[in-house]
Order: sequence, then C-alpha cells, then structure tokens
Amino acid sequence: MERTASALRVAGLRKTFQRPAVDGLDLKVGQGEFYALLGPNGAGKTTTLRIVAGLLQPDAGDVSIFGIDALSDPVAAKRITAWVSDEPMIYDKLSPTEYLAFVAGLWGMDAATAEKKAAALLEWLELKPHAHERCEDFSKGMRQKVALAGALVHEPKLIILDEPLTGLDARAARLVKDALLARVRHGCTVIMTTHILEVAERMAERIGVISRGRLIAEGTLEELRKQSGSSNTSLEDVFLSLVAEQETVQ
Amino acid sequence: MTEPGTWPRLARHEGRLAWRDLRYLMTGGGRWRGRNVIIAFVLLAIGLHLLAYGVVGRYAGMTLEVGTRGFTSITGSLLLTFFLLLSQALEQVTRLFYGRGDLDLFRSSPAPVRRLFVIRVLAIAVSTTIMSLVIAIPAINVLALLGGMRWFSALAVATAAALATAGLALTLASFLFDTLGPKRTRFAAQVASAIVGSAFIIGVQAMAILSIGTLSPRAFFNSDLVLSRMPAPDSALWIPARAILGSGSDLVITVLVAAAILILPMILLSSRLAGYAIATASVSNGGHRRAWSTRLFRTSSSRQLLQRKEWVLLFRDPWLASQTMMQLLYLIPAGLLLWRFYGDSRGALIVLAPILTMAAGQLGGGLAWLAVSGEDAPDLIASAPISPMHNLSAKVEAVLIAVFAIFAPFLIGILSHSWIMALIVAGSILLAAFSSTLIQIWFRSQARRRYFRRRQTSSRIATFAEAFSSVAWASAAAVAANQSWFAIAPAIVAILVLAGTWTIRPR
Repeated sequence: MERTASALRVAGLRKTFQRPAVDGLDLKVGQGEFYALLGPNGAGKTTTLRIVAGLLQPDAGDVSIFGIDALSDPVAAKRITAWVSDEPMIYDKLSPTEYLAFVAGLWGMDAATAEKKAAALLEWLELKPHAHERCEDFSKGMRQKVALAGALVHEPKLIILDEPLTGLDARAARLVKDALLARVRHGCTVIMTTHILEVAERMAERIGVISRGRLIAEGTLEELRKQSGSSNTSLEDVFLSLVAEQETVQ
Repeated sequence: MTEPGTWPRLARHEGRLAWRDLRYLMTGGGRWRGRNVIIAFVLLAIGLHLLAYGVVGRYAGMTLEVGTRGFTSITGSLLLTFFLLLSQALEQVTRLFYGRGDLDLFRSSPAPVRRLFVIRVLAIAVSTTIMSLVIAIPAINVLALLGGMRWFSALAVATAAALATAGLALTLASFLFDTLGPKRTRFAAQVASAIVGSAFIIGVQAMAILSIGTLSPRAFFNSDLVLSRMPAPDSALWIPARAILGSGSDLVITVLVAAAILILPMILLSSRLAGYAIATASVSNGGHRRAWSTRLFRTSSSRQLLQRKEWVLLFRDPWLASQTMMQLLYLIPAGLLLWRFYGDSRGALIVLAPILTMAAGQLGGGLAWLAVSGEDAPDLIASAPISPMHNLSAKVEAVLIAVFAIFAPFLIGILSHSWIMALIVAGSILLAAFSSTLIQIWFRSQARRRYFRRRQTSSRIATFAEAFSSVAWASAAAVAANQSWFAIAPAIVAILVLAGTWTIRPR
C-alpha cells in the first residue's frame, strides 16, 4: 500500500555513546502504518526510538513527526506522540484511574473526554476491577496494560513502543496487540521494536531491520524475502540471513 | 557431595557482601582508589581525634572515685551512643526480613535457612560493633593518652554495648512481627528506629529546656535536679560506667550481660526468623484505596498536576514520609524553646533562627531528591508535552511549598512575637531549602525512591554542598536575627558555595 503523507521521517540520525549506537539512520513511516523495527541486541533500535520520542538528543540528524520538527519543537511533537517502553513507567502509589487522570492532564486533555476515554480503556484492557487499587502489587502484565492505557488515553497520532510484549502472558499480549491493531485501524501510526519475530510478521505492514545503527533492509515480508534471496521462509530465517550477511560484509 | 551451606561458606558469603557494601559506602559506587581511601581515612582519623580531644580530653583524670556526678555524665553519654546503635541495628534487622535480595535463592536451596539468619544477625552485631568502635576509639585513645591505659577497658564496653543492641533489635523486631504482623512491622520498625535514635537526645534536651532553660545535655546531667534523683555510687546502675573507668569485675559483668542479650534471642528466635521472611513475601498492599481527590479528572495546569503528584506520592509512602520527616523530630526542642521563652526574650528566637534554617535546608534537599532524582516514571515525564524547565520549576515549587507548609506553625509563633524576626526566619528557610533544591537538580541522577537513604553516598559533593550551604544560611539567619548587617558575610559564603557547586556539577 502506497502512503503519501509520512508520520515519521528520520534522516541522517547519529548518536554515539562509547561507540556509535545510531550511525546515519534514515527512516520513513507512513500515516496509519504499523511498522516493526527489528535488530539484534545493541543494534540501536531503542536509541533510535528514544530519540524519536524526545527522550534523547541526537548528535546529528533530523526527526520530523507529522511535519513537526521534533528536535526544534519537541513539545509540539510530543503532544501527538506516545511512548511505551518494556519497563512500564507507572507510579506504584497511584491507582490506574489516578494514573490516567495524571497522564491526561499532562497532555492537556479536556477533563470530561479524558474521564470517558479512561473508563473505556480500563474496561477494554480488563483493568476495571483494579481501577482503584494502587499499582504496587500489580503483575508485570497488569503494569504494562496500565502503561499502555496511559499511552492511548490522550489519543496520540504516533505510538512508539519498545518491546511492549516482554514478560506478558499470552492473554495480556493478545490484548495489547488487539489494542494496537485497533488504533492502527483508526488511523494511528505505530512503530514498535520486538524480539518476537512472529509478532512482527503477523502485525507489521512494513518491517525495518537495523544492525550496528544502520537500516540494512526494509519493506514488507515479501520484499525482505527478496532482499535476502530466499522465498517461502519465515521472518526469522530472513532476519537471521540479513543480519549474518551484514556482519560478513563488515 | 559436600554439605550444603556450611557455616564457613555462608560466613564468607556474608563477609564478602558486607565488604562490598562498605566499599560502596566509601566510594559511592565509583572506582576504588586505595590511596585516596587511605588519605581520607587518615584525615578522618586525625579530625575525629582532635574533636575527641576537645570534647573528652578534660575528663582523662576521672577515676572510680568520681562519684554520682561523674557516673551520671558517663552513663548519659553511653546511653546516647547506645540508642544510636540500637536505632541502626533495628533498621538492619528489619531489612533482613524485607529485603528480598537473595532470600528466595537461599529458601529454594538445600542450605539451612536458620543458619543463614543466625549468620546475618551476627553480621549485624559485627557491623554495629565496628560503628560503635569508630565512634569510641578516638575518644578512648585521647583518654588513654592523657589518663593512662586503664581507659582501654572502655573498648570492651563499647563492643558489649554494640552486641547488646543487636540482640535487643532482634527481640524488638520479633515482638513487632508477632504483635503487628508483617504488613505493619516494616513501617513500625522504621519509625521505632528513627524515634529510638533521636528520642534520648531530644528527651534530654526537652527536659533541659523545661527544667533549667538550656539546650545543653551536659548542664542537665550536672544539674541538682538530676543528681538529687540518682542512686549512690555503688549502685548496679553504674556498672557500665565503672567498667569504662577500669573496674575489672564490672567489665566482666558488662560483657557477660551483653553477650547474653545477644545470644539468648538468637537461640530462642532463630527458628522463627525464616517464617518472618516468608510472611513478608506474602504481604499485599492491594485493595481499594481512597483516591487523591473525588474529582480525579478535572482541568488543571500541568504545573498543578506535577505538584499534586509529588505530594500524593510522598504522603502515600509512609516509609518515605517518615524518613523525610524524621529529621523534624529534632525541631521538638526548638519548639519547646520557643514555647518556654515565648514573649520572654529575643534570645530564644536567635537560637531558633539557625536551627529552623538548617532543618529547612536538609528537608528541602531530601524532598528535592525525591522529586527530581526519585521520579518513578522519568520517561513518562520526559515524553510529555511540557518543557524540561517547566517540569523542573513545578517540582521546585512543590518542594518549597511543602517546606514552607511544614515550618508555617513555627513562623506563626515567631510572627506573634516579632514580625521582623518572622521575616528573617521565613527568608532564611526559603533560601536554605531553595539552595538545597538547586544542588539536587544540578547533581540529579535517576534512582528508585526506595534508595532514598543511599542518596548521600551517590553524590558526596552534593551532600557536602547541601550541608555547607545550609550551615552558611543558618549562620546568616543567626546573625540577621541579632539584627546585624554582618549577616551579609555568611550569606555571601552560601552564594559562593552554590556558585562553586554549580561549576563542578556533572554535565
């Protein structure tokens, strides 16, 4: 599917810690697209997404979210963006309802709309029975669902997720996946990293493979198969072949 | 196959952990530089010995004939140290059951858990003894140098006191478990630990203020009021004091009693300790709670939201609230002083101004650490559409409002006496709290809130800068309360401390 407007454009992105984590990365994600960013450990996926979410400052490059320059006007970019990491960022001493009220307030949502939206999300994510309990005793899955509800409550146009399914049981993972696909159906753009290649294979419209801070392949699963020179193989085989090929070249 | 979890193996494991903990305390997690540590150790030892010379040097000539007056002073000093050690030991014993750490590993292994707990209680006794000796050795060295070798018997008394506190702490923690249950024991023990550590000195100061109108414990111990109520010099109450002064038989009794206080609870309670640890693992904090407001979803500015969040998180965490507010216990004597001399003299207010300023600086630093470094969801705040400066200024305001609210009753009390004095104290409180907050912002380093007590070790520069700026503002407050323009001098020192700290802040 060809998309005209881009939700996210990353150009020439560089970030170095002790060694280059992101090394001249270019990326373009269309509006309403589900994009999966794959790569081996230390490839630069999380660093890239943290820069896009405004959590890290790049050494060089440009990041544009729905036409907004995220580096020169980060507040405007953040207003339409949500970030979910593998480590749920919630407050132990707040209940899910209080957390959602806090997040909605931070994003400047109208109170009545936020309340309705929060109630719907808590119901949908099966958190309603625990809506007024403090999060301190919640399991990892419940905490991740609360974090996801926080990301969705302000109706972002771009959702950035870093390994959101880590540690979730099958039921919780299904709920999260359904929630994300539903958002995409409503025109939201999702960009996600995952080590569960099956998830990327089933959910993502396009997949980017990153290695040593560079995008080494990109496209639909079919296009990736062609790039790796193998047909009728799983994404896992394609991914391993692309990464191995890249490492041989380097 | 060898026997699982042998005594030497477990002891070695505990020793290694304790050593690494000590290393962390000394280096703040940085690199271990042997030469620097030795230099710091030597400088500290010299400083402590000089301090000890100033404080106890004049008592080197004391003998067993010192009488009730001398025994009262020695026993009072011993009790002060004893309660501080007990507070430390109680804190450590409680952590033994609640710190999950490696307990699950041990409980899932074939090693006898009872043995592990016995070794851990012994380790607490050893660490309390080391702490006791660190406090006592400089004073004992000075006394021995000036008054003779007999003073070295005080080393055994210091060790005995430390061993006894470990045993008492174990007994007290066990009592709290049995009466309050695992859910409430942690908080109760932590509050008890803070109160035990400060109660004696605060109690003595309070009694001194109320009875003889001074803050000095020494003057109180030497007052006729106290001495007339003390028993004769041959009373059993003075056994530890006589042991310190070199009486062999009293020393043997002191050591034997202390050993019994440690060993008996270990024998009687060791089988229950693993059960306590299992009980703490099953504690649930769940259940429905009252929300922070009946109208959670209301239109508020992000500034108001961030501030409300800080206050709610603090009030909902009794442990953190107690850790932060416990230093306010030391304001009790200040409050008593204000009450005692209300409308009577300006002198009390001159004493109060620096005490309140110092406390505000320390409290401000603690609250600022929680708000800035102890943010539980830093990514959430960083990804929200608010500028970092907006976020920081909201947090600074949250800290200053909280500090001001806590000190408001004192300010109202002072205001009804003198509005100029109230203005001076209010200004110095705000300046001290603001300075500490700035230092915490410059040296922020993300950490979990539960590591609040370790904040001092994570940045020593920030800790010292905070202390120096509070002392400088307190001095300025004292001089200003005396209505002298010389207050500008310590105020400039405080600003210089801030400027110096700013230049060496991490970038």
